[in-house]
Amino acid sequence: MTDRKMAMSIQCALISQIKMLQLLFCLSYFVILSSAVSRENFKTCEQSGFCKRNRAMQPGQSPYIALVDSLQVQANSLNIQLLNKNNNVRLKLEVFGLQDNMFRVKINELSPIKERYEIPVGDSLIEEPKLHNINLSQKDKDKVVFTMDSNKVVMSVEPFRMDIYSNEDPVISINAQGLMKFEHYRKKEEAPPAENEEEKPEGEEKKEEENAAETKTEEEPDMWEETFKTFTDSKPHGPSSVGIDVSFPGFEDVYGIPEHADTMALKTTKTTDPYRLFNLDVFEYELYNPMALYGAVPLMYAHNEMRTVGIFWHNAAETWIDISSNTADKSVFSHIADFVKGNNEIPQTDTHWFSESGVIDIFILLGPTPSNVFKQYARLTGTTPLPPLYSIAYHQCRWNYNDQDDVKSVDANFDKYDLPYDVIWLDIEHTDGKKYFTWAHEKFPHPEEMIKNLSVKGRKLVTIVDPHLKREDGYSVYTDARDKGYLVKNKDGNDYDGWCWPGSSSWPDFTNAEVREWWTGKFSLSEYKGSTPDLIVWNDMNEPSVFNGPEITFHKDVKHMNGFENRDLHNIYGLYVHQATMEGLLRRSGGKERSFVLTRAFFAGSQRHSAVWTGDNIGEWSHLKVSIPMVLSLNLAGITFSGADVGGFFKNPEHELITRWYQTGVFYPFLRAHAHLDTKRREPYLLPEEHMNIIREALRLRYSLLPYWYTLFYQAEQDGLPIFRPLWVDYPKNKEVFRMDDQFLLGSSILAKPITDQGTTNTNVYFPGRHDIWYDIETYEVYDGGVTKNVAAPLDKIPVYQKGGSIIPRKLRPRRSSSLMYQDPFTLIVCLDQQGSAKGELYLDDYHTFQYRNGEYLLREFTFNNNNLSSKNIDPTGQFNTREWIEKIIIVGYPKNPLNISIKNFSGENSKRLDHKYNSEEKSLTIRKPGVNIADVWTITIE
Amino acid sequence: MLNSVLIVFTLLQLGSSENLSHPRGIPASKASFYRPAETFRCIQSGKTIPFEYINDDYCDCEDGSDEPGTSACPMMRYYCENLGHKPEYILSSRVNDGICDCCDGSDEFEGEKIQCLNFCEEIGRKDREEKEKEKKLQEEGSKIKLNYIQQGQKIREEKKARLDQVEKEKDEMTEIKSDLENKKTEAETPEKEAKERHEKAWEEEKAKRKAEKEKQTALIVFDEIDSNDDQHVEMGEIMAHSEFDIDADGTVSHDEAKEYLEELERVGRDDFIEKIWPNIKEIFKSKKSDSEAKGDKDSQSTEEKVPDLTPPVADDDEDDYDGDDDEEDVDKQRVSENQDVENKTPEEDEDKMPDYDEETKQLIAAADDARNQFNDADRKLRDAETEMNNLKSFLDLDFGHQDVYASLKGQCFEMTDREYTYKLCPFEKASQRPKSGGTETSLGVWGHWSGDETNKYSAMKYEKGQNCWNGPDRSAHVILQCGMENILLSASEPSRCEYQFEFATPAFCSQEDPNANKETHDEL
Repeated sequence: MTDRKMAMSIQCALISQIKMLQLLFCLSYFVILSSAVSRENFKTCEQSGFCKRNRAMQPGQSPYIALVDSLQVQANSLNIQLLNKNNNVRLKLEVFGLQDNMFRVKINELSPIKERYEIPVGDSLIEEPKLHNINLSQKDKDKVVFTMDSNKVVMSVEPFRMDIYSNEDPVISINAQGLMKFEHYRKKEEAPPAENEEEKPEGEEKKEEENAAETKTEEEPDMWEETFKTFTDSKPHGPSSVGIDVSFPGFEDVYGIPEHADTMALKTTKTTDPYRLFNLDVFEYELYNPMALYGAVPLMYAHNEMRTVGIFWHNAAETWIDISSNTADKSVFSHIADFVKGNNEIPQTDTHWFSESGVIDIFILLGPTPSNVFKQYARLTGTTPLPPLYSIAYHQCRWNYNDQDDVKSVDANFDKYDLPYDVIWLDIEHTDGKKYFTWAHEKFPHPEEMIKNLSVKGRKLVTIVDPHLKREDGYSVYTDARDKGYLVKNKDGNDYDGWCWPGSSSWPDFTNAEVREWWTGKFSLSEYKGSTPDLIVWNDMNEPSVFNGPEITFHKDVKHMNGFENRDLHNIYGLYVHQATMEGLLRRSGGKERSFVLTRAFFAGSQRHSAVWTGDNIGEWSHLKVSIPMVLSLNLAGITFSGADVGGFFKNPEHELITRWYQTGVFYPFLRAHAHLDTKRREPYLLPEEHMNIIREALRLRYSLLPYWYTLFYQAEQDGLPIFRPLWVDYPKNKEVFRMDDQFLLGSSILAKPITDQGTTNTNVYFPGRHDIWYDIETYEVYDGGVTKNVAAPLDKIPVYQKGGSIIPRKLRPRRSSSLMYQDPFTLIVCLDQQGSAKGELYLDDYHTFQYRNGEYLLREFTFNNNNLSSKNIDPTGQFNTREWIEKIIIVGYPKNPLNISIKNFSGENSKRLDHKYNSEEKSLTIRKPGVNIADVWTITIE
Repeated sequence: MLNSVLIVFTLLQLGSSENLSHPRGIPASKASFYRPAETFRCIQSGKTIPFEYINDDYCDCEDGSDEPGTSACPMMRYYCENLGHKPEYILSSRVNDGICDCCDGSDEFEGEKIQCLNFCEEIGRKDREEKEKEKKLQEEGSKIKLNYIQQGQKIREEKKARLDQVEKEKDEMTEIKSDLENKKTEAETPEKEAKERHEKAWEEEKAKRKAEKEKQTALIVFDEIDSNDDQHVEMGEIMAHSEFDIDADGTVSHDEAKEYLEELERVGRDDFIEKIWPNIKEIFKSKKSDSEAKGDKDSQSTEEKVPDLTPPVADDDEDDYDGDDDEEDVDKQRVSENQDVENKTPEEDEDKMPDYDEETKQLIAAADDARNQFNDADRKLRDAETEMNNLKSFLDLDFGHQDVYASLKGQCFEMTDREYTYKLCPFEKASQRPKSGGTETSLGVWGHWSGDETNKYSAMKYEKGQNCWNGPDRSAHVILQCGMENILLSASEPSRCEYQFEFATPAFCSQEDPNANKETHDEL
């Protein structure tokens, strides 16, 4: 199936059902599209003026100098002017010391002729970052030196650069290569520069005159207008890009900057385009390349055995990042030369960041541990709030469940075949003519009743709400926005008119807080007819996707509020959409119930509002495989609640692939199966029994681990640590795992390596931690850490291991949905380490409201030491009454069959004997029915 | 633990099982396994556990038999007594999960999450009513079905009989045909000979006429070259014609002229026609006025056309020779046809072959007659064969038990929804056309019966319909149900281009109780 055919099939969905006019348009649109394969719809660096200009910068020729005389120092910040020697334009550099071991470096024009866009505080950043004292320790004509705790910043004056040291080790250098470029706003030269070169200096201001000669040498064809394919970007404000290089001395590995369909460890871009961050709807995206995808988090970590550091590039414009490495880029020849010379060069990774507009605003995260950098980033942009339990269970989606009978029948079949699921989804066809907040009445005459039939089983319904509004006079959401002037404008100031699912569409300007406020109201039960409190929402196409726009998105000269263009803030538009949507759902319950929104587009901070999925993947083995590094990268960048569509969106995956995909997907923090309109139905109950049974087991594993997942999500809300995490996060000194992205950890206690290759019956698993041991969660077979072992992995086997030394609470009674498990008893799986000890936590609450923020929760800790297993409350501020109890404890790695086991409660009275069972082959000891409430304090003694 | 409201229900509805003093969740028939004693033996695994471990919400037996009344053993099933309706087993994972699964509500005995009402009487009554209705429908339908069977069998017999008959006719026709073929051959041999004779004579005549014409042309040219009218063509007269300038030096030299005159100083008429003309006719250009020259050329070209088999001119592309030649032939045939029809000038009539003589005509008429008779027989034979094939493929179709569906073949049934009219022609095709008009789209042609193992004849598959753009061929799955008449009940498209129809027909009705073999069976 070719790209363009698929494109056609999307654009012309349900041709059979659309009217003749639409069909005609559809076909003519297809003709336009079909002139190119999908890749050609998107710019290369060479086709992007500012990318080309920045990439052409040569190292070692920086024209910027710091004007020491202008230095002003405050308690926790300093500012100084930078001068571009070539054009005499002055910039303002500010450096802030921040709490939690961070610096912030901001560079803006000293006196711009037009305000440069900065992302409002509260939108990506949760608040104005808290400042921390810095001390000026040296200031002379060559350099300025200041310190913050054990960190030191050396600012060289000419050329301007900053070197940051932690405990005297160089960790980050800024503009060390001298690639900084700051294109100041300027007036367009009226006459063509080539003709009257001599008469030039006639600017209104003196500065302009001074600059004129230099400015002109900077002139390049794309600066004031740029054409890509048939689209012309009018660029009314001219060139405005900002760029600078950031080096990580001593670091070979860098991670982050999602979203790319690529490996977790970022690659040198010497022979490719730079990694691109520009939210785009990329049809059938290609794998392992730096092309932009649906979302952008301009956050990068550098890691070595000593420390982890990071930088957050706080800019929402289109951004490209070049990466080079003195080790990776070295030719074989120079390696040999090094060997001969005995060269012991320190590895270094150099990065070069440039954005089309805005300011340079870099947060420097100095770690030094992995968990430190995650917390630092969390302090800036926030964490994922604890999701309601149902949302971390299994979601069943398809484009489309055709009508309410279809929904009923899918729901019934899940029960019939005893497959658990929590949420069923409705894609665009549920609406009346792709007008969101409406229902296709003939297919869904009684939506409330339909939802009620789901919610009695604890299930939810998702409807899709996209940001494009059909331009139809009878559609009140549109007319309301239009009449209020809330729609995004084109360069001429009229409502922007683009093509999307409904045909001719307009987009609310979500960057405007007033518009977001208006949007939240659309989700109230009275406004959104047919909705109930059990209806939740999915925002798709919010990059935004514009079928007939340049690169399938907005024109860059589209206008938002305050005179800013989409060029200035493109990457954050999608965040505003899902932020407002989530706010609407929260308001619906008066802020009592937690809710759920899924988004495709995202930016730094999206984690505070929505879950993210990796967009329109393909039902092929390669897409299953790449889903792991993609979700790892999202988790590293704070988007913990993320996953890929199980089964793949496009095409028809074979049964083995679907089965393996479920076995992988049950470890994605966000677990949803989805399928394209053109695909065959593939709900698990339609598969052969063998495959369905394996999928059922995989789903049951997910459900049985929900207490662990929920605890991880709670912890992630507190500390911002990734849930679905690469091994280096927990084993930061173990170089072997730095680039490992085919296996991963869930929290610290579960290691998984799902099979992502066809026909596999065994695989090599690396067990991390030289002093750790790992237990197969099914057979309790033991594996020593620090080695790679080949393990059997037939179709019904997922290589999953619990770490020795951990205690994982599970709920082993299968139910139809997670909410039916609220009161079910726990089983504690205690896996002993080499010292015979173990420890684990359990968080619980009512699983769906915000009452946990009022102290209605329990945070328990279980410890096993010296044959005593005890439970205690480790967070006294949390109190919660529940009927949940402990039905079983399995101690794995226990050496012998004990004689006697007894439990006593906190007061030490009522010691009660417990029955047990010992399996000497597995070395597992099962303690029968302690029967204590989960909130009880108790100790079990084994003799 | 029990809520007071629930207690009432428990005593009234659930109490019965407790009163029988066997544990919750099993039918009375299993009570013997659970007789109060010191210990309990797990029913399948045989493991022995204390009796009080039964239904204590902890799974001790690997077979789950110690927890028939709780959700502790996931592999276990819970027995709902459902007095007033029919008893059933539910998955024990559905016990106390907050959903009322049994109509007697006994699965939610904890009452913490939900309080279930006993509505077995109500749904039992409804169920019985529905069953009664269904039974009646099946009975009534079955009566009609008997007709269908009769019709089906009748159709089959008729078709069979007809097949026998046609087979016989075919055999006869085969003989007749071969007889007529001989006769045809006999009549055609003398016809062919006579025709060939006639045509040969005509060819000779034509050659003669051509030679005469050639001579006439030569004489005209002779007269033209012979400018001094001395009845001889001389060197000087040749030299006056520039086309004879072989070396193209602007003049016709003496030698050049001599060469054309075959080394003679002057030639008379006969010699000119015989020796000179053949050599110069390609070169000679008339100096006469255009109209005259044109006339000459025309006659020249028609002459050249006559010998069709003249080898191609030298510059013809060898590679394309065959192809060109074929095309030319075709073209020429068409041209001559056109000439025959449109340009029937008297002159050309002369070029037409004269009619056959009477004798030949008679021979042709006789042969035509033989041919017609033969063709007639041949057609009849082929018709018979076609009919035989049709009959055979009809008889090969599987019309279900006792051909009950046979009478549906040849009929079509339609239904219209919001957008489309769907049509089902059993054993032939399924299709769809927009309500607003437009062409019909094939959703498939008859494929096969596609019911499950229990009843192959419960569903039909129509396949290889119009290909879906960017997808599979359309297909339709037709699910049958019992009805008093043949009605296409519904049509939907659950997967792209895979349609599903529901079709009611008396042919699917059955007098057997549809629920007879679905009675609850013991799990253990």
